Amino acid sequence: MGAYRAEDDYDYLFKVVLTGDSGVGKSNLLSRFTRNDFSNDSRATIGVEFATRSIQCDDKIVKAQIWDTAGQERYRAITSAYYRGAVGALLVYDVTRHVTFENVERWLKELRDHTDANIVIMLVGNKADLRHLRAISTEDAKGFAERENTFFMETSALEALNVENAFTEVLTEIYRVVSKKALEAGDDPTTALPKGQTINVGGRDDISAVKKPGCCSA
Amino acid sequence: MFCCPYMWRSGGEDLQGFYPVRPECQSDVPRTRFKSRAGKTLSARRWHAAFTEDGHLDMEKVLRRIQRGGIHPSIKGAVWEFLSGCYDPDSTFDERTKLRNQRREQYGAWKEECKNMVPVVGSGKYITMAVVSENGQPIEDSSVENQGWVVKTAVTDERILQWMLSLHQIGLDVARTDRYLSFYENDINQSKLWDVLAVYTWLNLDIGYVQGMNDICSPMIILFEDEADAFWCFERVMRRLRENFRATATSMGVQTQLGVLSQVIKTVDPRLHQHLEDLDGGEYLFAIRMLMVLFRREFSFLDALYLWELMWAMEYNPNMFATYEELENRNNNAADDPKLLKRYGKFERKYVNSGKNERHSNTIAVFVVASVLQTKNKRLLKEAKGLDDVVQILGDIAGNLDAKKACKEALKIHEKFLKKANRQ
Repeated sequence: MGAYRAEDDYDYLFKVVLTGDSGVGKSNLLSRFTRNDFSNDSRATIGVEFATRSIQCDDKIVKAQIWDTAGQERYRAITSAYYRGAVGALLVYDVTRHVTFENVERWLKELRDHTDANIVIMLVGNKADLRHLRAISTEDAKGFAERENTFFMETSALEALNVENAFTEVLTEIYRVVSKKALEAGDDPTTALPKGQTINVGGRDDISAVKKPGCCSA
Repeated sequence: MFCCPYMWRSGGEDLQGFYPVRPECQSDVPRTRFKSRAGKTLSARRWHAAFTEDGHLDMEKVLRRIQRGGIHPSIKGAVWEFLSGCYDPDSTFDERTKLRNQRREQYGAWKEECKNMVPVVGSGKYITMAVVSENGQPIEDSSVENQGWVVKTAVTDERILQWMLSLHQIGLDVARTDRYLSFYENDINQSKLWDVLAVYTWLNLDIGYVQGMNDICSPMIILFEDEADAFWCFERVMRRLRENFRATATSMGVQTQLGVLSQVIKTVDPRLHQHLEDLDGGEYLFAIRMLMVLFRREFSFLDALYLWELMWAMEYNPNMFATYEELENRNNNAADDPKLLKRYGKFERKYVNSGKNERHSNTIAVFVVASVLQTKNKRLLKEAKGLDDVVQILGDIAGNLDAKKACKEALKIHEKFLKKANRQ
């Protein structure tokens, strides 16, 4: 048995995807969250890579299975195949490059075309540490997130600013939706959703529960 | 460059010195397993002795060596030019010098063409910010990041626009290509990589620039001092890889190879194939990176080069040069001629021998992936309960693979596959 088996003691498994333009820092957000690591020398992601980390929600252990995708449009045929079954997404742009924010709309459409309507999405403005190079104001991004009914946060993978918060927020929200749904159905969520099974966020009726916009920001 | 005989014999030569790693990155890179072995590795002495006086190369002898133990770093670039089909071993020194000069001139002309469109090409700098929008409008605020150069008027030519749209993507990737190597601490080397990729993209707009090409190109920039020589070796290597990078809205070229991989595993290890299929992994998408960048991420720099030259030696086809140059093939009936057959690599020989068409899309890389899957067969069957487990188990191979062993296994699987496929 491999050593990684020990981590496999969890109550919920949520699949989360990281998307957004090339070079916005998706892989470093992932490595910061799962290994508390940042690399100045990280390489372009080819296809799809992934990592996991477990966090605690109430008394339950939630394991996040996070898929990190290549940013270049050419890879979309491959990366979109990995959207299937995702219950959460971090849509990342670079606060210093306007183009990456302009493309958010396209990524959002891509996500909504390929995932369940109840997916929990957070817009993430990364590289917030580069204050002197900022090209997108917090207000603009927040406004966009509100209109699009997504969560929003600004992060810095380099300075470990808000990275933990961003992922935790998304995971907690998914957990909230799932346990609420199970409660309504009169089931104990733990037994209703056997271990090792990826969870769907459920039917269209709990949209309001999922998308409370803009709850926090940098 | 060539070290003392004692060191050579002991196998203790420090080959890492050929491609130094930045001290602060030592812990981030897989350890190198390749060792230059006397009697196995193609040494500089052996290499030079394989030429006749006028420059004809005994490729058979050279191939045999490479397949046994790779190429010594001191001569890698020169040997790769033959392995990749840049040059014909049946030519003379003079003929090759002439061809080299022609090619350098040709590259210079293409680069000039690019430079006329975007003066950053060849300037020792490179672009990382988009310079035009998708409808061809200039993006002026890109100026600072792009060395003060901006597009002044709208770009209307579709081809030029396509090319310009890729320049910042190339730049974004160049900035993070093999940064752990001291070589790329030098900005000039980074811009050399950018220039070659920019020129290549201009000439290959049907596929364009796709992430991963930088990983394939980077070793050429390091191995060849002359930028044009690096370009040509890259161009030749891409002949066998470029289709992988062809992308449409619904698919990527590499999926053809994944399809072959699926066939191979289904044939040689049906249980494993079934298991992967049950996990929704029957498309083998998890193997994409290995095929696209030829295991660059699974091996240390030197070990990846070792693996590449093993694979290319095994895939070597004496008609390659003529095919690329669009000349008439001379060795058409190799299957009936054992002497001719010896000039093929081990892998390619099997195809020729089995009477199959030489133009097949099955590359040895697919079989190397198959061999990697096979080494993890037990764990995959027992422990993988989802695709994430598959990725994780395969991730453990980073730095733990032996290139020679993987190729040897690949040949075995290939043989098994051909036998079973023939029976069907």
